[in-house]
Amino acid sequence: MRMELQTEGKLKMEDYRFRPERTEDTGLAGAIDKILDKGLVINADITIDVAGVELLGIKIRAALASFETAARYGLEFPSGTNINTAAWKEAMIQKEECPQCGKKVDMEELLNIACPWCGWQSAKAKKAKERKISAKVEVQ
Amino acid sequence: MTILRPEQSSLQEVLDRILDKGVVIDAEVRIGLGCVDLLGIRATIILSSFKTAIQIGLAFPEGTNTNTPAWQDLLSKQPCPVCGMESRTKDLRQQGCPWCGWNYRPKAS
Repeated sequence: MRMELQTEGKLKMEDYRFRPERTEDTGLAGAIDKILDKGLVINADITIDVAGVELLGIKIRAALASFETAARYGLEFPSGTNINTAAWKEAMIQKEECPQCGKKVDMEELLNIACPWCGWQSAKAKKAKERKISAKVEVQ
Repeated sequence: MTILRPEQSSLQEVLDRILDKGVVIDAEVRIGLGCVDLLGIRATIILSSFKTAIQIGLAFPEGTNTNTPAWQDLLSKQPCPVCGMESRTKDLRQQGCPWCGWNYRPKAS
């Protein structure tokens, strides 16, 4: 990673030596994580007949997802589930993985401000910052 | 231009691709003795990710609310060809990727 020399007294995010970096989990755990995150649909129609007579028919419409994904995609929960808890409200916020550290962060914050964990900034946030600085210079 | 998104061939990437494309199993098994059909099994099974399922119009379990913003995102968003982060197709085309700044029409310098 790039290290920048400082001319000012303050430390920039890029200068932290222990900058969090994403370690790709490419194993089974990572795969399961991704599947539950994206959601899986299993639909099946199975019929079994004996000697030309239909005996058994199975119709499956299944959706497999993590709690968070299930909440965001409006899947039905078993009756009696209290969906008014703080965790559910948290789950409804759209989150995105930070490209640098991999933490799940509120998408709006990550895109418009920066990652609160590692300080990564999106192109949009950088552009907005540049615009702000140039506007300040013009005023001066 | 550097490609930030690494090409992976891990289990995760393989499963991801399979579910994104969708898997259809259409099988028919007949077991007969002599010329008499004894047992027959007919199965049509489809496996896919939520995104593919909503795009190709699969049925969801009863009680699923397919009007949430998350579903709208699935239909209107696309990954950036450079960084792989999702953003609205229209924005990606007209203004470039808000995540990495990729733009298919580079500014004339």
